[in-house]
Amino acid sequence: MATAEAIAEKKAVEGINSDYKEKFGFSDSEAGYAYKAPKGLNREIVESISEYKNEPEWMREFRLKAYETFLDKPTPQWGADLDQIDFDDIHYFVRASEKNSRDWSEVPEDIKNTFDRLGIPEAERKFLSGVGAQYESEVVYHQVNEKLEAQGVIFTDMDTALREHEDLLREYWATIIPPADNKLAALNSAVWSGGSFVYVPKGVKVEMPLQAYFRINTENMGQFERTLIIAEEGSEVHYIEGCTAPVYSSDSLHSAVVEIVAKPDAKVRYTTVQNWSQNVFNLVTKRAIAEERATMEWVDCNLGSKVTMKYPAIYLTGKGAHGEVLSIAFAGEGQHQDAGAKIIHVAPDTTSSVFSKSISKDGGRSTYRGLLEVANGATGTKSKVVCDALLLDDKSESDTYPTIRIDESDADMGHEATVSKVGDDMLFYLQCRGLSEEDASKMIVNGFIEPVTKELPMEYAVELNRLIELQMEGSIG
Amino acid sequence: MNTEETTKISVCPVSELPPGQKVIIEHDGEPIAVFNAGGEYFAIEDRCSHDDGPLAEGEWYPADCTVECPRHGSLFDLRTGKPKTLPAFEPVRTFTVGITDENITLEV
Repeated sequence: MATAEAIAEKKAVEGINSDYKEKFGFSDSEAGYAYKAPKGLNREIVESISEYKNEPEWMREFRLKAYETFLDKPTPQWGADLDQIDFDDIHYFVRASEKNSRDWSEVPEDIKNTFDRLGIPEAERKFLSGVGAQYESEVVYHQVNEKLEAQGVIFTDMDTALREHEDLLREYWATIIPPADNKLAALNSAVWSGGSFVYVPKGVKVEMPLQAYFRINTENMGQFERTLIIAEEGSEVHYIEGCTAPVYSSDSLHSAVVEIVAKPDAKVRYTTVQNWSQNVFNLVTKRAIAEERATMEWVDCNLGSKVTMKYPAIYLTGKGAHGEVLSIAFAGEGQHQDAGAKIIHVAPDTTSSVFSKSISKDGGRSTYRGLLEVANGATGTKSKVVCDALLLDDKSESDTYPTIRIDESDADMGHEATVSKVGDDMLFYLQCRGLSEEDASKMIVNGFIEPVTKELPMEYAVELNRLIELQMEGSIG
Repeated sequence: MNTEETTKISVCPVSELPPGQKVIIEHDGEPIAVFNAGGEYFAIEDRCSHDDGPLAEGEWYPADCTVECPRHGSLFDLRTGKPKTLPAFEPVRTFTVGITDENITLEV
């Protein structure tokens, strides 16, 4: 049977991430590494990370307490299968370079070549206000525009922030995501290393984005960065993160914690282009607080990883605050993208919207898991949730688990969910207009995700479209 | 005008709640936790406003007058009942504590 559908199905198993290994999946030698902790997690490892970093006593205690919390908390059983993770088969701390440099020429050659291949320095030159590059457990390069620095903007790695801005960091540290929030947040709190610290003073608008790039190189590596963004009253900032890793046959773990405070009238956008290799468990807790009239936006693109569990959250705690989550998940063969959003309307007259788009192919599974809550006292709120799923074949899956809790009778709330398949009729119609079947399917997918890509800076929108096109290549004949 | 009527109930003799200690009592089926933070007494509803779990089973910090929910880590101020960290965002009830004839009492 040589119908278009049968050909499409046959070709669907080919092509996914076909050039990942070549473009992102290469690995470097570990010969020059400064330190690599033995595999496994225990009290001594946690203490040694703190000691190695020469941290203040309160942070050492914070880590040790979080470690006990991690041991006490059960592994979540409600989402993706996390029982496959062997927590004893992971390196929890790997320091590739002794130095965190502000001069690109001082970065060790191997690491520099890696980031050159990934296009980071080029991006910094062209369209960023600042960049951080984390390799394994620590940041190896960090730079911020001098003008911004003069305006009081702080953009540095978290280890440096703990040394140089301890009081400011401590005021907000773990107030948005306490270690006991969940097992993975506890793990991160115990062994965290690297990540970004961003402080934008009152009224300062950071016009070009700040970017952090995260790279795992070692096999069976755990990367546990922490990011904290504080946007003071009336300030604006856009932070972008990207990530890749080599392709290995055994699994690595990435478990980050991201905390954001948007003060009154501040505007924060946090964009993620997640493209981990397909042997990475990506289990991330992201949460923001938006005060009076503040705007918080999460733009979350999940293309890579074996399993992702990530539900960016926004607590709208100030009157008139606005929260937005735009999410794309692409699940190919062997991938489970369990993504979503949480919006909690705490204060009156708050508004929010969630747009989630998922594409599943080659037996991939995508899940939307969301919470929308309107608390007692949050009168006059408006919210809209739209979840669209696109299935490219019969083997793939899509699930939606929306939870809605409304405690105020005047809340204006809408939820829409659609599941669609790329049908023969759509392809046929476009082919009649002169397109090949492959171009037709790409066009359908691009149109499907367009509401999200149009929100990205142009360079990232182009990159995302290109990545998705690569994933699509050969999938439908 | 606050029209809510309060009743005074007895918790325990002062000698049974030394500084740094806490006690949990029940009134009308509602658990209430009473703390002695360096000689100053505080009482809060023993139920986390985030997911209704018992609050006072968690660690508490007399010097800061805070208690940490053991379930998801929200830190509550014993003086005001307000959460100082997420995921809780609503306060828990607080009660006025007094001493009558060497007994700790609560107004509920």
